[in-house]
Amino acid sequence: MFSAEEIQVLLLSLRVACCCVLLSLLPAVLLGWLLARREFPLKLALDGLCHLPLVLPPVVTGYLLLLLFGRRGVFGPVLAAFDLQLAFDWKGAVLASVVVGFPLMLRSVRLGIESVDPRLERVARTLGAGPMRAFLTVTLRLAAPGLLVGSLLTFARSLGEFGATITFAANIAGQTRTIPAAIYTYLNQPGGESRVVGLIAVSVALSLLALVASEWAARRLRVR
Amino acid sequence: MTRRALSIVLLLLLPALAAAQSVFAAASLSSALAELANHYEGMRLSVASSSTLAKQIAAGAPADIYFSANAEWMDYLQARHHLEQDTRVALLGNALVVIAPKGGAFAVRMARDFDFAGAFAGRLALGDPDHVPAGQYARQALAQLGWWPLLKSRIAPAPDSRAALVYVERGECDAGLVYATDATQSNRVTTLATVPDSLHRPIVYPAAIVKGRATTQVRSLLAFFSSDTAAVIFRKHGFTLLGDLGVQR
Repeated sequence: MFSAEEIQVLLLSLRVACCCVLLSLLPAVLLGWLLARREFPLKLALDGLCHLPLVLPPVVTGYLLLLLFGRRGVFGPVLAAFDLQLAFDWKGAVLASVVVGFPLMLRSVRLGIESVDPRLERVARTLGAGPMRAFLTVTLRLAAPGLLVGSLLTFARSLGEFGATITFAANIAGQTRTIPAAIYTYLNQPGGESRVVGLIAVSVALSLLALVASEWAARRLRVR
Repeated sequence: MTRRALSIVLLLLLPALAAAQSVFAAASLSSALAELANHYEGMRLSVASSSTLAKQIAAGAPADIYFSANAEWMDYLQARHHLEQDTRVALLGNALVVIAPKGGAFAVRMARDFDFAGAFAGRLALGDPDHVPAGQYARQALAQLGWWPLLKSRIAPAPDSRAALVYVERGECDAGLVYATDATQSNRVTTLATVPDSLHRPIVYPAAIVKGRATTQVRSLLAFFSSDTAAVIFRKHGFTLLGDLGVQR
């Protein structure tokens, strides 16, 4: 049903989306907890900064990534010292997805943590649990549906990421050509319409599945 | 209050409704046509890649003139009967150049025995050869020179020729192949060599009137593109003129 080239595209997209979810989970838990439970100066500014990629044109996000993490970018020398190439590389596609998907992850994780009554954590503390154990076994456990919602939404967003990715990681066949980039490429070829049917079907199916699953998890969060 | 707001909105819309000729033009023409628009009343520009524009016109977009960066997409519309017969003219030509970031120039010889792949590090910026005409011409030339096999895995394919120019301007790529017209736009790149046009299919910019749009005003706008005023501006932006040859391509 799919050509070798299309399978390569699908596998790359899945790999990028999975890495994106895994990489954004921990920072989202830390920041989500900070925003949900703590008051500190510049909290609104931090909140705004984290959510910026949600409203910024993706091509601007991609260009800013190039300015920051490109070979001649601000952090270029640091990356070079670690022999890490992000621009024009699949790892760059992951970074673009992480930045664009992070607001969705953060919102869900934060909502999950906010939905947990802080008194429960205090009860655990009086029963002898340390702060870390109380957080992990009570708060995080009860916030798990929020983490799941965030992961699914971020996964779906990553699969659909186009603007920031094509600007920062380009559209290199076999290296950074994800599902949307492949669809864009084929649609720009005369007579390429027939080649995109399968990819479009997969991308609609995966996105729908992730959205339905996240809605299901969100309901579980609300029921409590 | 609402009525006043509504009338203000309508007033703002008026200029848009006034008779204007809408030109759907390839991205590489944008600067030249924007300058031309200063010399022609009522010319409205819509700029995107030739392929996007062709698909929009095929879907019934309100275009009067289609000005494409390659013959292929003009053929696509012609084959689907979206163009007025016998209005197609090959107006402009362009060339490909090898560029490097300012201060990063190196010697290039357009010959088979020259080791281009060894002359620079990192990736070579060009339009995506899978769908961008500038990239297709570039791949053709690189293949003719026998350089392509070594460079195939080292290209940084951009969504259009201008984006490839940005990769080189930013120093993300040490070399690039872009349209001569794009290279002249930038003072942050150095042109190392011009690719001989015998190495790739001719780069031709054809224009034509869209089906059902051949009014007198639209015809005179198309004629204006071949005028002396237009010639000066197109040349200034690095294009070569084919229109005066009257060839149909």
